[in-house]
Amino acid sequence: MEFITQSLVIGLTEHAPLVLAAIGFALLYRLTGLINVAYSETITLGAYFGMWANTTFDLNFYAVLPAAGLMAGLVSVASYLLVFRPARQRGVGVLELIIISFGLSIFLQHGLQFIFGYPVRFYDVPPPDTILVLGVGVSSFRLLALVSVAVLALLLYLFIQRSNLGLKIRALASDEGLAQVSGIRPLVVTVLIWFIAGVAGGLAGAFYGVGSNVAPLLGWRQFLMILMVALVGGSWGLGGVILVGVGTSVALAAMALSFNQVLYAQLVLIAAFVVVLKVRGRQAPETAKV
Amino acid sequence: MNLDWLDAFLITGLFEVVMVIGLGLLLHLQLGLARIANFGVVGFWGIGMYAFGVMYVHVDWPFGEPWQFLVSAAFGTLVAGLSGLLVGWLIADLDTDGVLVGTLGFAAAVLILATTEDDLTGGARGRGGLGFPYDIGSVKDNEFVWLVIVTIVVAAILFYVWRVHRSPYGRLLIAVGGNDPLARSLGKPTFRAKIWLFALSSAAMGLLGAMYGVMVRFLDPNNLGVDVTLAAMVGLVLGGTARVWGAVVGVILSVGLFDVVIQNYVPLPREWYTQAIPVLREAIFGVVLIVVLLLRPLGVLGDMRRDQLMRRLHGG
Repeated sequence: MEFITQSLVIGLTEHAPLVLAAIGFALLYRLTGLINVAYSETITLGAYFGMWANTTFDLNFYAVLPAAGLMAGLVSVASYLLVFRPARQRGVGVLELIIISFGLSIFLQHGLQFIFGYPVRFYDVPPPDTILVLGVGVSSFRLLALVSVAVLALLLYLFIQRSNLGLKIRALASDEGLAQVSGIRPLVVTVLIWFIAGVAGGLAGAFYGVGSNVAPLLGWRQFLMILMVALVGGSWGLGGVILVGVGTSVALAAMALSFNQVLYAQLVLIAAFVVVLKVRGRQAPETAKV
Repeated sequence: MNLDWLDAFLITGLFEVVMVIGLGLLLHLQLGLARIANFGVVGFWGIGMYAFGVMYVHVDWPFGEPWQFLVSAAFGTLVAGLSGLLVGWLIADLDTDGVLVGTLGFAAAVLILATTEDDLTGGARGRGGLGFPYDIGSVKDNEFVWLVIVTIVVAAILFYVWRVHRSPYGRLLIAVGGNDPLARSLGKPTFRAKIWLFALSSAAMGLLGAMYGVMVRFLDPNNLGVDVTLAAMVGLVLGGTARVWGAVVGVILSVGLFDVVIQNYVPLPREWYTQAIPVLREAIFGVVLIVVLLLRPLGVLGDMRRDQLMRRLHGG
């Protein structure tokens, strides 16, 4: 029982940003059809922007969150307008779009080192308090990250599923031509999708950053897990992504506790996700609706 | 052997160029012909290097060189080939997204095993003890001969790729890349073709990894990052994914520029070579991928003269 409680608490608090990042990635993937490898750098940028605002202006961590999300959202939109939209207009194929996003990811990953320097950076925050949750000690930052992620995930879910703009986004994703005839402006809605996804990634990055450190590979190291959660959970919509994300987080914590080595947990999950994809035999027609 | 005219750094740089050309040629078979985006090149290369290194260092060999190297390299090649067979089977009927997960996942798995299996691999610290299968004098002499040997191996790969282009198997791979369901409906063994393609090309990537291990004489998990995959992909895309000589031209223009020309002939402050130049190299490689695929998707060499199908496949 103690093992289950520990896995639940550690998994949910430590890996909460994974769920938020996966929601943003899945949003982009399901609604535009693009696997954006550069999404990992949206996460990294969020961490860097937050750290920069925190250390430069001596701001509280929670005060820098909106700025981190906003900046990451704007960079995400810029990447769409400057790279992916022109690529789509030039008729670049799905595979080439993925390679382009890989190139953009590498460029941002290394470009960031020129801007923020090579060493690992840290948020300037006071040492967090330890709070007991079901008998397991959790830092206040991680607990607040969990609450924030839960609220943000719920807001995103409600926005997509219930709001008028969310309806337009889903309409555009299912039939662009019909959506256009119905008066929906594809560019505005697509930009909105990229912005929301960027904000989600940026906020996840800020939570990752404050929980450990800020490094150029921060987002890249999380990308595979985010990709797998989004691909496997995305079949059942955003609810599926949240469910698979939470399951993955708890499984990671449980296996890390069992193996005493978090990398083995990742190894097992990589194998499990690839087998799930194989069994599902995903041979869907390739659509590139960016 | 008098190699005073040759700088040791130049040998290392040329070795990098030749090795990446080999990887680019093998990636050409996967990405250029069969349209399978292998983002885990470093995984197959790395598992070959580590399997070779572990065998070479840990086995109490009853015989000396060159058999110690040959048997270990054969083992590394075999392990990489079997890994390719497994990964190929897993991803053969998946779409591009699944292939991305499968290949990236494999590369991540190799890095994890290299880092965690301390007793075998030396973990994050790495493991030394590798050496050349001969000793003809100074380190520079040995490295030069090794450069010649890897050039011969890569020339053999180039010849194989050239042959594949002119064979029914090559046409089958192009058909798989063009329209897999159609090729399958016409009775072509597309699944088998993809699996074997992955097994063979992965085995060759593993051999190149083993040869790299000999050159640096050290197993280092830091080599298992995204750089190797990026270099092969940039070279191939820049030269032209559809052309046999694409990887050769592209790698010379990209990796050659940084690892040979800038490293050896451009006088820059010494501290730049350790951090600024490698970071700049990767950032520029990223931009090259974007710019080439946006403005000239068929690369410097353009489309294949004899096969207009490739122009359509690659968006030219």
